[in-house]
Amino acid sequence: MKNFVDAYSWINITYLFKGLLITLEVSIISLLLSFIIGSFLGVIRYSRIKWVSGTVGFIIDIIRNLPLLLIIFFTYFALPKLQIHLSIMQAAISALTVFESAMIAEIVRSGINSVPIGQTEGARANGLTSIQTMWHIILPQAYKKMIPPLVSQFISLIKDTSLATIIVLPDLMYHAQIIYGQNNNYIIPMFLAISIMYFVVNYALSLIARWLDRRLV
Amino acid sequence: MAMIEFKNVEKYYGDFHALTNINLKIESGETVVLIGPSGSGKSTLIRTVNGLETVEGGELIVNDQDLANKKTDMNRIRKNVGMVFQHFNLYENKTVLENIMLAPRLVLKRNKSENEKIAQALLAKVGLADKGNSYPKQLSGGQKQRVAIARSLAMKPKALLFDEPTSALDPEMIGDVLNVMKDIAKDSDMTMLVVTHEMGFAKQVADRVIFMDSGKILEDAPSAQFFDNPKEPRAKQFLSQVLNH
Ligand SMILES: Nc1ncnc2c1ncn2[C@@H]1O[C@H](COP(=O)(O)OP(=O)(O)OP(=O)(O)O)[C@@H](O)[C@H]1O
Ligand SMILES: [Mg+2]
Repeated sequence: MKNFVDAYSWINITYLFKGLLITLEVSIISLLLSFIIGSFLGVIRYSRIKWVSGTVGFIIDIIRNLPLLLIIFFTYFALPKLQIHLSIMQAAISALTVFESAMIAEIVRSGINSVPIGQTEGARANGLTSIQTMWHIILPQAYKKMIPPLVSQFISLIKDTSLATIIVLPDLMYHAQIIYGQNNNYIIPMFLAISIMYFVVNYALSLIARWLDRRLV
Repeated sequence: MAMIEFKNVEKYYGDFHALTNINLKIESGETVVLIGPSGSGKSTLIRTVNGLETVEGGELIVNDQDLANKKTDMNRIRKNVGMVFQHFNLYENKTVLENIMLAPRLVLKRNKSENEKIAQALLAKVGLADKGNSYPKQLSGGQKQRVAIARSLAMKPKALLFDEPTSALDPEMIGDVLNVMKDIAKDSDMTMLVVTHEMGFAKQVADRVIFMDSGKILEDAPSAQFFDNPKEPRAKQFLSQVLNH
């Protein structure tokens, strides 16, 4: 019991929250970037120009089948060899964005696929161009159906940010390690604290998703 | 002048020969009904007219443009040729009014107040003046189909294509939709090509009836003549089946 009281000192708790802020910052930036890039790639897979859709599909497949850790190592250790120097934060965000964009592209693609072909035919017959059809008719319906898989992907993203601990990203996980590194008795209290933090953030996200799902037509 | 003209048109789905040597001329203002057994190519034929299906040979002139030519701008044809589908294909994410106003806004750049005025008038015409703010999923099949017709009319097209517009409807809904279609057919400028199993509608409204089987046009005759005295044995057999059932 004493361990818990000591572990949760004001200093340690604020230190954990600083880590949480980094986790959130990296996740949110990666999330926004990968949402935009992933949507774009997902739509491009429907391009009528065969080599464009084919190439994009191939690259997405490769990325989706690599371990995220490998991509993180790549952006941090390999890019400098190619004269591209990123900060830890930039390396983490780049790696997460590349990986998540590929995952989201696939979600967007199957979301678009799930909109009945009649919606496209109705719009095209009505005189809309393929881009207008995609923007006004298909994507709004696809995103509505994609809310559950997108949210699980966002939740994985937040959790996966902790992988960047390995390149010393000072995130929530890393700060917890620093604290219990100084005193072994703090291991369990720290695990408990960060579990609660991850849970609260991710659970809030799923609540927002449920609210969105009810609000959208 | 012909609104729609097929000259030796061929259509393949892979190896399957779906349309064989189609020759057909539909004058501006005509109402033509297309009938034939299931799988005979009626949908395929009607969908070539607005480019939803490509054609592989011959010429297909619609509103003075050749759809067999890959360079033809489909959107220019679709501006002038509306289509009503068996399963309505209303935009599920938009209200009834938005469904009707979207294409005129995006494609014709019609201004908002005029767009709204026209949409409201069309809704009244199809008997749904109070449904403007409903979503498609809140409507019955017959109501959806009337909205779909209003949506096509809002583009002020020269021609309208109907692919079995009443086949997915409960019997008591069919009459309302047919009445709206009869009303449109009265407009002497509107060209209509209708695939339907409603022989009463064909008899009453069509100028001509086209009978298809296995991707070929077997008979093309004025409506009265076709129903009184079909020439082709296959057409006779088909008529006796649909009329006696
Ligand atoms: N996309 C497609 N790919 C391959 N074959 C097709 C395709 N669409 C239609 N067909 C084939 O072409 C033939 C004609 O089909 P179509 O849908 O035009 O017939 P239909 O006269 O409209 O029939 P129904 O009365 O059942 O609607 C059928 O044999 C059908 O299987
Ligand atoms: Mg059909």
